[in-house]
Amino acid sequence: MSNATLPAGARDPGYPTERENYLTNSSGILSWLFTLDHKRIGLMYLVGVMSAFAIGGLLALAIRLHLLDPEGWMFSGAEANNIYNQVFTLHGAIMVFLFIIPSIPAALGNFLVPVMLGAKDVGFPRLNLSSFYLWLFGAFFFVTALFSSGLDTGWTFYTPYSTTTDTSVILATLGAFILGFSSIFTGLNFIVTINTMRPPGMTWFKMPLFLWATYATSIIQVLATPVLGITLLLLIAERTMHIGIFDPEFNGDPVTYQHFFWFYSHPAVYIMILPAFGIISELISVHSHKHIFGYRFIAYSSIAIALLGFLVWGHHMFTAGMSSLTTIVFSALTFTVSVPSAIKVFNWLATMYKGSISLTTPMCYAISFVFLFTIGGLTGLFLGTLATDLHLHDTYFVVAHFHYVMVGGTLIAFLGGVFHWWPKMVGKLYNETHGRIAALLVFLGFNGTFLPQFVLGSRGMPRRYATYDPEFATLHQLSTFGALLLGVGLLYAFIVLMVSLVKGRRAPANPWGGVTLEWQCTSPPPYYNFERPPVVGDPYDFHNLEWDAENERYVTTEPERKLAPESTPEEVPAHAGGQK
Amino acid sequence: MFPANESLAMTFPTLLADLNESFWFPIQGSSFAEEVDWVYDLILYISLAFFIPMMAFMAWCLVKYIKARGTKAESQTSHNTPLELTWSIGPSVLLVWMFVQGSISFLDMRTPPEGSYDVGVQAFKWGWTMDYGNGVFHPELHIVKDEPTKLSMRSTDVIHSLFIPAFRAKKDIVPGRYNYMWFKPTVASEKISDEELAKLKKQSEGATWDYDMHQVTPEGYTFFDLYCTEYCGKNHSEMQTVVVVHETQAELDAWIKANSARGSDVSQEAWGELLYNRRGCAGCHSIDGTKLVGPSFKDLYGSEHPLASGDNVLVDENYVRESIIAPKAKVVAGYQPVMPSYKGQLSDDDIDSIIAFLKSISENAPSEPAAEAESEEESAE
Ligand code: HEM
Ligand SMILES: [Cu+2]
Repeated sequence: MSNATLPAGARDPGYPTERENYLTNSSGILSWLFTLDHKRIGLMYLVGVMSAFAIGGLLALAIRLHLLDPEGWMFSGAEANNIYNQVFTLHGAIMVFLFIIPSIPAALGNFLVPVMLGAKDVGFPRLNLSSFYLWLFGAFFFVTALFSSGLDTGWTFYTPYSTTTDTSVILATLGAFILGFSSIFTGLNFIVTINTMRPPGMTWFKMPLFLWATYATSIIQVLATPVLGITLLLLIAERTMHIGIFDPEFNGDPVTYQHFFWFYSHPAVYIMILPAFGIISELISVHSHKHIFGYRFIAYSSIAIALLGFLVWGHHMFTAGMSSLTTIVFSALTFTVSVPSAIKVFNWLATMYKGSISLTTPMCYAISFVFLFTIGGLTGLFLGTLATDLHLHDTYFVVAHFHYVMVGGTLIAFLGGVFHWWPKMVGKLYNETHGRIAALLVFLGFNGTFLPQFVLGSRGMPRRYATYDPEFATLHQLSTFGALLLGVGLLYAFIVLMVSLVKGRRAPANPWGGVTLEWQCTSPPPYYNFERPPVVGDPYDFHNLEWDAENERYVTTEPERKLAPESTPEEVPAHAGGQK
Repeated sequence: MFPANESLAMTFPTLLADLNESFWFPIQGSSFAEEVDWVYDLILYISLAFFIPMMAFMAWCLVKYIKARGTKAESQTSHNTPLELTWSIGPSVLLVWMFVQGSISFLDMRTPPEGSYDVGVQAFKWGWTMDYGNGVFHPELHIVKDEPTKLSMRSTDVIHSLFIPAFRAKKDIVPGRYNYMWFKPTVASEKISDEELAKLKKQSEGATWDYDMHQVTPEGYTFFDLYCTEYCGKNHSEMQTVVVVHETQAELDAWIKANSARGSDVSQEAWGELLYNRRGCAGCHSIDGTKLVGPSFKDLYGSEHPLASGDNVLVDENYVRESIIAPKAKVVAGYQPVMPSYKGQLSDDDIDSIIAFLKSISENAPSEPAAEAESEEESAE
């Protein structure tokens, strides 16, 4: 395929020089610790959440190894059950609060939101840095509290167990409280950035879908997280002062806690999955080189999910003894959320139809996402339907379902996103063949781990069991072997990325053929993101891209179609991406 | 390498060993089971009817449209409103169907019929006490086939949840309130022959009865599993018991009668040991000296105990009785006040039997037989 002669007018920012690049324009450890650059903060978050994931993942393996044998394989002795309970609590709490909630918004979002928007930075760079330090402090506090006190309540802290157990619930909840603030700050920052810092031409409907998803997520973060904060404070008050909100011994009601808790935590599930939808929309469109199908439907459905997500918390409590009417209303509301989610999947499939698909590593993750998330979503129907939920609630069916959504969905999308934007972030290309093999191992390992758990659950295996009846042994063992394979796949993927830092080829500005603004700046981007104001157009219009086979990159061919207004109006703030 | 490895070799055969079971479900043991399984299958088939074509379509796209890098896409269609409306509204109709079907069955499962057979259930860390009325308590749930049964459930400590997979029935048990559930069992337990039972009894001589290993109760009935499925702390996974479904009411009555009190041919020590295993003491108190949630019973009787309050107490009849009825009155140093009260659940003879059992396993117990007469007097006060 020789395309060596490019049409006249082909534009490409080329490669950054040493000084222009945000990684090297200043050096020394302090230039990182005190940086206000959203890209550096995003990268620091990335290191942070990946470390949290590594700890959580090792704990997951410990859980699975323990369950190799009905009597418990990994931990033994009189305290075996206690240790197991602490391990699954640690695993769940670390994965939820330290990994999955901050992963996409804080790590990738921080890097990408301003660049995709065409801005120089986020609205409040200092708030951004402080939210990272809050996360770091919260994470440190949380992990030490969890490890030193041996928390054993499960990540949900259900009362009255959590108000009576002698492990240090207070330290752990304080940790979660601090982490909540970090999450609120990030959300607030994105809302302000997207509302006020769009450059000329960047209307709402010219925004990439990743930004729509981030915006919707931020709304939830800002509205729901305070409820978690209040709930945790009430829990602490209950434990120390016995004020009688949750504990029946002091005339409280334990189910009240569940209402409070899920009023945050259900929307939190959408904090976890909405940004993933955003990533997948980008990935599928770019690697199919085709306009995303049903842009407006996808954008609106993100907002719809964010709002409807506030109304369905009761579906975690169908067996708790709410009135029949309440229960049925919550079931009905739950089904309304499945419609917008289904629409997105159809749209992604339609985007692939008649495209020009490149089976790159990010695309491999996008395809696994569609497969796994569809299973996660469809199995949610069994749990939203009342008659079947009564049987399946608190069994391994639930464990399998939420792992399909959170791991098969969010984690896979996160990995896809990391591989997609890796060349942009670090300026290096990784080895595609190895990247794809790792993606395949992750896919196979994941299904091996969690598919058997659907069967376990519907056959009646309760969750959070340290030991179990022998008839479940086979399925548990299959699941453990799957988990080992999954672990190998994840490690492999990590190695592929690390090797690229050392041996990778230099990345061009646009290696995949994306149209969103981040592909208009060099890889890695300069300190202020753009050398000259970026040209805003339809983020999914692929007409003007040409493949430059000689340099293995995509270039934009047409001269600027729409110039920024001759004289930039005074009101447009200087930081909106343009140099006045 | 892995202790339970042999079961991997028998993977799918073991899953389908019992003809009454399907791949997805345990045996259908109650009138709800058929309904729930039907709704489950409905959702499963609808889901597959979407999932398979969708994945086939994706695979087909991958085969057909993977192109060399740099190739332009065949089309840039960005939307098609009629198509999008169709795939939004079409599935919604099916969702409404699922919701309605699930809610109808749910309402059936919520409303116990008039005149159901009522069993009281007390859940505690980590065991169950079923109350059959007239002072009969037992950890196993015994009910009658085809008889609607209502459970009135309470918890003495944290939230638990009662789950019988074969009945497809589950309900949380929240401290501070009663929660109710009901079901109608449709499959009776079977009873193995006396010789077989004797053989099993001999095998497990001296150890506590292993339901999972023998697959029958100590009285020889096959059973359904009953789990606690709301996480409740350390021994959550051991908080299991069994359901025995009797063929007739008469059979159940006979069982209740046999369990109402110590038979004249049973010694107090033996009855005390039985109660120790049956009423959940074993979950927290060992008899071999191991420290569990509570102090071990080995050599306990007759020893001196430091209390959390700083005092010491002699473990005698009065102290044991008080610890059973009002466990929080004198808490032993180094332990949490977590034991539930058995007030009203154990007869005087039951308590005396437990005391006799404790004496029988203690080196410190005074050997004069006079002690027993004394205790009768004092507890009568
Ligand atoms: C390496 C892959 C993983 C494996 C093998 C794994 C395995 C498990 C297992 C066996 C449990 C215990 C279930 C129970 O006893 O109820 C569990 C619980 C849980 N996992 Fe994972 N997990 C993995 C990854 C993740 C990730 C990436 C997340 C979050 C993003 C996550 C979130 C949770 C949560 C929230 C719980 C519930 C904890 C609780 O019950 O308190 N897991 N996981
Ligand atoms: Cu329990």
